[in-house]
Amino acid sequence: MNAATRGILIVGWWLVLAALAAFVSAHIKISGDLRSFMPPAQTDDQKLLMDEIGNGPASQLLLVAIGGASEEKLAALSTSLTESLKDDANFGRVINGADADMQLDTSLLPYRYLLSPTLDTNRFDTKFLHDELSERVADVASPAADFLDDLLPRDPTMEVLKLAQRWMPAKAPAVRDGVWFSPRGEALLLVQTTGAAFNPGAQTAAIADLISKFGALPDVGVAQLTISGPGYFGAKLAATTRREAERLSAIGTLGFLVLLFVAYRSVVVIVLVGLPLASGALAGLAAIALAFGDVHGITLAFGFTLLGVAQEYPIRVFSHRQSAVPIHESVAAVWPLLRLAVVSACIAYLAFFFSGVPGLQQLAVFTIVGLLVAGMATRWGLPPLLPTQFRDAATLPFIERVRAWIVAVPRPRAMPWIVLIVAIAAIALAPTPLWQNDLSALTPISPDELQREGELRDALGAPDIRYLLVLEADSADGVLALSERVAPKVDALVASHAVDDVELPSRYLPSAATQLARQQKLPVRATLSASLDEAMRDTPFQPNTFAPFLDDVEKARTLPPLTADAFAKSPFGARLQAMLTQRGHRWFGLATFSGVHDAHAIETFASGDSNVHVLDLKASSESLVAQYRLRILQALGIALVLLAVAVAIALRNAKRAWHVIAPMSLATILVIAVLRVSGVSLSLFHLVAVTLAAGLGLHYALFFERPVDTLAEARRTLHGTLVCVISAVLVFGLLATSSLPVLRAIGLTVALGVAFHFCLSIQMARPRDDDR
Amino acid sequence: MLTASPPPSSPSPDTATLIASLARPAPASTAYTEIHFARLLKDPLVLHGQLDYGGADKLGKRVDTPYKETTTIADGKATIAREGRGSKSFGLDRAPELQGLLASFSAMLGGDAETMNRYYDIGETISEKNWTLTLTPRSPDLAKHLKTVVIDGAAKEPRCFTLTQGDGDVSVMLLGDLAATTLPKPVTHAALDNLCHAAAQ
Repeated sequence: MNAATRGILIVGWWLVLAALAAFVSAHIKISGDLRSFMPPAQTDDQKLLMDEIGNGPASQLLLVAIGGASEEKLAALSTSLTESLKDDANFGRVINGADADMQLDTSLLPYRYLLSPTLDTNRFDTKFLHDELSERVADVASPAADFLDDLLPRDPTMEVLKLAQRWMPAKAPAVRDGVWFSPRGEALLLVQTTGAAFNPGAQTAAIADLISKFGALPDVGVAQLTISGPGYFGAKLAATTRREAERLSAIGTLGFLVLLFVAYRSVVVIVLVGLPLASGALAGLAAIALAFGDVHGITLAFGFTLLGVAQEYPIRVFSHRQSAVPIHESVAAVWPLLRLAVVSACIAYLAFFFSGVPGLQQLAVFTIVGLLVAGMATRWGLPPLLPTQFRDAATLPFIERVRAWIVAVPRPRAMPWIVLIVAIAAIALAPTPLWQNDLSALTPISPDELQREGELRDALGAPDIRYLLVLEADSADGVLALSERVAPKVDALVASHAVDDVELPSRYLPSAATQLARQQKLPVRATLSASLDEAMRDTPFQPNTFAPFLDDVEKARTLPPLTADAFAKSPFGARLQAMLTQRGHRWFGLATFSGVHDAHAIETFASGDSNVHVLDLKASSESLVAQYRLRILQALGIALVLLAVAVAIALRNAKRAWHVIAPMSLATILVIAVLRVSGVSLSLFHLVAVTLAAGLGLHYALFFERPVDTLAEARRTLHGTLVCVISAVLVFGLLATSSLPVLRAIGLTVALGVAFHFCLSIQMARPRDDDR
Repeated sequence: MLTASPPPSSPSPDTATLIASLARPAPASTAYTEIHFARLLKDPLVLHGQLDYGGADKLGKRVDTPYKETTTIADGKATIAREGRGSKSFGLDRAPELQGLLASFSAMLGGDAETMNRYYDIGETISEKNWTLTLTPRSPDLAKHLKTVVIDGAAKEPRCFTLTQGDGDVSVMLLGDLAATTLPKPVTHAALDNLCHAAAQ
């Protein structure tokens, strides 16, 4: 095959991959849905969390501030932004403090007598009405109350105001120019996204939408939009992490290519080296697209990390070329070992497939398909494309010097055991917690932003995102009745300052029973009219002023109780709707807490009632993570056993298998020990990084353990291994310099691991002369 | 005042001099009689009580008859305490009309023409003995609730404070000596106008 044909084939291969990439991106859906990543929920709390009930209305809220302009202008912007977001599918409720938010829909006005608690303790008799009318006389004269005049004839007892007061958040921002303002003079809004807070994709889309809608408002001028809240942080961190990972990987790749050029003195090699890995990754993605359809972003990130071992396959082929030997022969010579590495890794990842966790199954499919395709591409795809001119690695004096030095290093037999004991002692004695279950601890928020979030949350009186009060019943009305039953307990909680406010569903809509009880107390028209006339006698009100009042009460006497469904159709009712959800035959009411001061009081106040439950979103998501980790650990344990068996069968010798498995296991323990001694608590990301390092370590051990007949072949082995080790340390060492803990965790762990695997393979895997 | 916030022009020198002459050292108190005309009331409501001026942005209004009520405005908050009903407090930023009222009152008693001009467009008629300041809110928001504030006076004494609310209800507040005057019968807006414009004794 001449150079031109090879060039065409290489370009053709890349083009096929581009076509495959197009297919994959059209058919795969990268989801942020935690359910496609986590193990099935087991406890009730986890089920709530996974059912997306636990999404929590609170965590879906974006806290928004508009500043940098005059107050009137900010108020106008707040109003027009609210208007432009109203029918947007990315957003549910948008509130900016405008009056309309707090008022009963006009069509529902007669219902005020069933919704307001006035009739629980009063009757519409002469005395009550007289007291109320005397108050209204004073109100009429009050300069603060001129807007009452419109309402007064219809509502002399001011039920509309009582309801508005009841519905007002305990701690609402100041209203100026008709909208909410913060103490520092910004217009404030609460924007509820329809996507979950832990779905960075949905949040990113919603935030981009919000920003563009704001930018498109007429008269934006120099006004500035500030967004905060959990969803915003999630989206922002996802973007920062991607940017930083891309930047460091780009530098790493560049370094890797330079290293390849130094090692092989060939540009063609640089063009070829990525083909097996790219082919494997795309084949893996295509397999997921066909088998599952959608995949969680984190699963994919883990998969790409684990697939990193395949980058070694072409390097082994390049380094083991021998001068005066045709390429197909030198590949055939090294292939049994490469095949063993590929097949044993695939067998090990089968353990993930049988874990029963969808995310791990996807990981297994992706990794196994990816490794197999990368392996085959290396074996049959690469060799014909390699340039005929090359330098035999065995001829390099530098490699020989390194080899001689390694051989001279003493290998005390007791050393591995000492390392093992020290490492285990270090792991056992490390003072920090072994596991870090809080995934967000790896993606921290800057103190400035956290402070700003706290300020906005405080100014808006926005609900707490960690705790959620869950009320369970067999109907929506049952939830409302239950909510009424816990209301006194909740009031006591607020009175004891454990929490500033609890937003119960029954604050907005009483149960049917309560509404009927109030309805019973409404007098018939004739009775009410007589009482009113008598009450009015010594007031200055015009006769017949209150005829609309008599009409409304008469109407209210025969209304069917207002249902959650009917109420939800009114603009204000959307708020209640967000608090009620149905799962199967059960109904759930979700009440949010604001200003939590005493978490213990909140967690325990509802104990004893099996239908009332305080959900700690942080604790239940952490328990899910812990469960996920347990599944990974089990799968890894089984994987190690499978790997050992596969290697032993392939080598047909338990002792040789031990020489391969032992350094790999010890290096893994050593990495964990070093991390633990440095105070690091382990997360899922560390586990995946450790696994990748072990996969690489397996290669080092396999190649060093391989008995070779000639010094030249030993040099080629060392050359290939050095290129692999240096490139891995380079790429992952760069990630370790990242300021983002999640990248640092992966980078540091893999870089350390690769170094340990290399050193221990040299020490433990190489055959000893006296063993022969 | 239909356009939004035009740059307030300076009050005329005469107006500024007049307003400056109305300054009172704080604290100051004066009795008042307020006659409130409202659509919903068949007879005007007559209140008696006392106004207390406690310096910039501090104002108290006490109603003694026919019911007892105390409104205190201080530190950006208004508190209304009514006998037998406890007290209600709310931020002035939630009651723009009250804020506007406070501004006109304390600007007058502080002799501060600049502040008054910031909130209101000031029209004036000054004769030898009497003067009238007609204040029209500059902010459209306030104008919705408060059409005009008319202050009638003689020499350095304000005598009447007439508020016309957004819905057309009118309240006339007779101050100082006038508070003790026997009210005309029947009490009509026109009769009160005459009273306010009559030359000081």
